[in-house]
Amino acid sequence: MPEVRNVSSQTALMEEIHMDTTVLVVGGGWHGMKVAYELACIGYQVVLIENGTSIGGKAPSDHLVSTSEQELSVLLKKVKDHEAIEVLASTRLVALSGVPGDFRVRLEQDGQALEKAAGAVVVALEAERVPMLEAYRLNPGENALSQSQLERMLDSPEEKDRFCGEDSKDVLFLVGLQQEGNPLVMERALRSAIELQDTGGCQATILVGNVKLAHDGLETLYKQSRERGVLYFKLRESPLITQNGLNFQIKFFDGVLHSDVELTPDVLVVEEAIRPHPQAPDLARVLRIDTDPEGFFQPDNVHYLPVRSNREGIYVIGSARQSSNLRHGWSDVQNAVLAVRQLLGEGKSLVPREKAKIHRGKCTICLTCFRVCPHGAIYWDNRAVISPVACQGCGICASECPMDAIQLVDYRDDQIEAQIFELGNINSNTPQIIAFCCQNSAYEAGQMARLFGSSLPEGLQMIKVPCAGKVDVDYILKAFQAGADGVLVLACHKDNCKSQQGNTFAEWRVEDATRMLAEVGLETERLRFITLASNMPVEFVRITREIEDKLREMGPSPMKKQALAKTAS
Amino acid sequence: MPLTGAALWSVEMAGCLRSAIFLVLHGELLRIPILKGRNRTIQNHGAILSEGLLNQRSKGNSPDQAPKKVLVIGGGIAGLTAAWELARLDLDVKLIEKSSFLGGHAIQFCCKAADECQKCGACLVEKRLLEVIEEPRIKVYLKSEIEKMNRNSRFSYTLSQRSLYIDSQRCTNCGLCFEKCPADGAVIRGYSKNNVPLYAIDETHCPHFKDGSCRLCEDLCPEKAINLDPEPDRVSGEADAIVVASGFQTFDPVNRPRYGYGINKNLITALDLERMLREKGEVLRPSDDKVPEKIAFIQCVGSRDHKLQHGFCSQVCCGYAMRMAEAIHYRHPGAEVTIFYMDIQNCGKNFSKFYERCKDHIRFVRFMPGDIFQGEQDQLILCYGDEKDGHSVREPFDLVVLSVGIMPGPSNASLADMLKLDLDEHGFFAFADPLDSTSTSQQGVFLAGTAQGPKDIADTMAQAGQAAQRVAHYLGVMPCPK
Ligand SMILES: Cc1cc2nc3c(=O)[nH]c(=O)nc-3n(C[C@H](O)[C@H](O)[C@H](O)COP(=O)(O)OP(=O)(O)OC[C@H]3O[C@@H](n4cnc5c(N)ncnc54)[C@H](O)[C@@H]3O)c2cc1C
Ligand code: SF4
Ligand code: SF4
Ligand code: SF4
Ligand code: SF4
Repeated sequence: MPEVRNVSSQTALMEEIHMDTTVLVVGGGWHGMKVAYELACIGYQVVLIENGTSIGGKAPSDHLVSTSEQELSVLLKKVKDHEAIEVLASTRLVALSGVPGDFRVRLEQDGQALEKAAGAVVVALEAERVPMLEAYRLNPGENALSQSQLERMLDSPEEKDRFCGEDSKDVLFLVGLQQEGNPLVMERALRSAIELQDTGGCQATILVGNVKLAHDGLETLYKQSRERGVLYFKLRESPLITQNGLNFQIKFFDGVLHSDVELTPDVLVVEEAIRPHPQAPDLARVLRIDTDPEGFFQPDNVHYLPVRSNREGIYVIGSARQSSNLRHGWSDVQNAVLAVRQLLGEGKSLVPREKAKIHRGKCTICLTCFRVCPHGAIYWDNRAVISPVACQGCGICASECPMDAIQLVDYRDDQIEAQIFELGNINSNTPQIIAFCCQNSAYEAGQMARLFGSSLPEGLQMIKVPCAGKVDVDYILKAFQAGADGVLVLACHKDNCKSQQGNTFAEWRVEDATRMLAEVGLETERLRFITLASNMPVEFVRITREIEDKLREMGPSPMKKQALAKTAS
Repeated sequence: MPLTGAALWSVEMAGCLRSAIFLVLHGELLRIPILKGRNRTIQNHGAILSEGLLNQRSKGNSPDQAPKKVLVIGGGIAGLTAAWELARLDLDVKLIEKSSFLGGHAIQFCCKAADECQKCGACLVEKRLLEVIEEPRIKVYLKSEIEKMNRNSRFSYTLSQRSLYIDSQRCTNCGLCFEKCPADGAVIRGYSKNNVPLYAIDETHCPHFKDGSCRLCEDLCPEKAINLDPEPDRVSGEADAIVVASGFQTFDPVNRPRYGYGINKNLITALDLERMLREKGEVLRPSDDKVPEKIAFIQCVGSRDHKLQHGFCSQVCCGYAMRMAEAIHYRHPGAEVTIFYMDIQNCGKNFSKFYERCKDHIRFVRFMPGDIFQGEQDQLILCYGDEKDGHSVREPFDLVVLSVGIMPGPSNASLADMLKLDLDEHGFFAFADPLDSTSTSQQGVFLAGTAQGPKDIADTMAQAGQAAQRVAHYLGVMPCPK
């Protein structure tokens, strides 16, 4: 049976450190106010900053809120009155330094610089609602409205009367035809359509791509709307729209009637897009946190769910991370509070004295580690320093450092290399495979395969690494020297690496190593980079057996033969 | 209690802030987790033992008081997440699971990655389960259900626990019982390596419990770990708060007789497909174990069906169908996948890009086939109307997958009765505060996961975290005294 071993951990001493119990909340919308208030209620000090001139200004992108204006003003008052909350309006975050539990933030209020200390940061920049009239090639006008304009009108009794009272109107909603749409946008259209239908004077029709109902209660609302007489046409693509002054002509092919349809509504209501706050890119840069491809905070990686960013101590909530309704937003608020209390506790925390250390003599201050650390765990204090609170122990810095100046306390290079040589077997005739396995994915899958009694290659040796990003070109070369006929570097799937790019670094290094090995005459098939997840024991078996078959075909590695010859002579 | 004769062995760091200390005590290795935020200074090892670690229950509970107790009902991803977060707040957690294994539905799911992760979240369940089994402050009761519940100032409850038959202390996971058992499904194996114990005996399939005709596994087990005789047990206890995380059941397509589920082997549910992909790593037609060339998914099976009184969208089936279709396309590029749907629902971040990518490999047909007919060579024939001209099309498929929806759990009614909770119009647990989906009409009782309504793994985990925070708030466990 192949052996699995873990590089034995070295004793790292723990130390108690002080955690600042002030929390900086960025964004004074509904989510920001909610999280500030909740944190203050359990004893934390809060600094709530808002770029606008006052907090509570921006309603969250949810129609539910317009029905709870009053609740919003109650919350506003509670936040303003709470002694533990310092509200700073017209304030911008300019810089953040330090480590979780001890961040220094530089703020700018009306051109004046302010310094604050904070233990954690919660980002609550509300998303924006952007009208989409232009996307539909429509000019705004009294009968071409955005969803918000319609809602505002329906909220004011006089305007509503005027709109619905005059004569009967055909109102046409355009939803999810110039964007994929989502339940939030859908819900607003549904609610408005029902309201119009209920006035008696209006006929609401909805042209929609997909009816997005994946939120609690929306199917019921959808059914209700149809019972009240709202008409639906589901289209595959945007219809042909001509706007001629106050007249519209809408043409499309209907898949149910199987024919072309032409509508001439009196009023058009156009959906709105939910986009990240315009300042999100700047804030992401200042905080050194990642955004997803749409520009919302938080990478599109399941390990950061629900509210984590790629940096310890910085959390992202509500529509700052994805368009969400108030219920989901409230859930984010609670999760952020939970995360803050887990991190800051009563203001003290027991942490390992170090997780990774930088050898001062070797470091040439090239800044590589600072650049590559995916968790922003390295800061500058005349030299590079690694924060044990922020560091996730991935080892990317250690493998990237050109001077080999960084060692992980738990996975030192000398330990891993010793393990490679211990496991390598130059005398065996069965193909020897050394597999570097990420502890989060492949290592778990391999263990599971073993426990389930799957037959793994006899010569397979697994070496556990904290992240595939820790696998150095050196390790690969040494594995071949130690007698491996084949080497596998097994990482998490793209976008599933806990350290974001650990798998990418590993892949690059495998490419480098392949090139080097090809130069000394080693077949490139002997080295492979493959991605896996922890729940893939079957694939683990398939992959390792495939390479075993291949290696059996190819025979012993030339490097092994060399090594054997050397020991013989 | 100071530990004398103990030596510090090592401090293992799991790549994150959580860590554990290993001690050797009289030759035995002990693992003691260190929790973040512990208010102790370590000067020497003696100090660690006497105050830092063994006196674990300090935070959130005043030192002389016993820690507050929380009962979590249901060991799916909702219950696991709630239990783990609560334990990290130093609460004493009992996790009750009806079946033989923790993890609920989601521990059975496959990884749906193609050339990149599809963000299905299945691997998160694996990780959370590992965290829970390593957490000493969570006590797990498998094969257990609540029998009685009373409320005075606290909750007092009685659990009935069916026997596990296999002594987990002795079992070495050799798998002999699983391999050699002559009855189908009598010895079952957990889905994950993190299912502890890994093997279990299912009384409903084991002949011993029908007529006493077999005791093979008892004799076979080299460790003498199996004992088929013990009677069910009863456990009583008290709790200060309760999290209801009893999950869902999938729609049983037998209730849509026109599909003929159960007649043709090549008509399977999406849950069958999840398990198949996980167990075999590929898609095979049940009738002949060959890779199917043409695969159809039918969406909204059992959901959005007002005739069945299921007037709700299951919220996850569009996402899982598209992700599985992508995974199938990646593993079997020759297979052609069609999805029959009413409306495609979003899943995860950056959905529009994902949907666009799917459209490159998957055919989407907006039509819900009403009947499924038997074709030649075990094929299945679907009838649908062509979108362009309305003509009816009959198309054969090698494999048809029913995207079954999320239905209220089987024990919702009895649990609601016992805990005096309300169910909503569909049979899920109703929440009391429109903003807070974990809230109930009963103080101290909170909801998490699909027990409250359909949702995916990500939302389930978020709601479970929220429930944990609400519990802490309710119990007055304040981190930072003002
Ligand atoms: C076919 C299918 C595929 C899916 N694929 C995905 C996917 O790819 N991605 C995704 O995000 N989501 C997916 N989902 C949704 C996912 O399954 C759920 O979000 C998740 O499983 C919900 O977890 P839960 O803990 O709420 O419920 P469950 O997983 O149902 O867990 C509930 C647990 O409670 C136990 N229990 C029940 N009643 C009692 C009781 N009275 N006492 C004690 N214990 C009890 C049950 O035995 C079970 O273990 C899918 C769903 C289906 C049906
Ligand atoms: S080990 Fe990883 S998280 Fe820690 S400092 Fe290095 S790169 Fe950053
Ligand atoms: S596809 Fe799902 S199981 Fe696979 S790595 Fe991504 S999230 Fe994890
Ligand atoms: S035979 Fe015994 S030791 Fe082996 S798995 Fe079964 S119970 Fe465990
Ligand atoms: S998620 Fe998709 S398949 Fe599931 S019920 Fe909703 S619309 Fe139907």
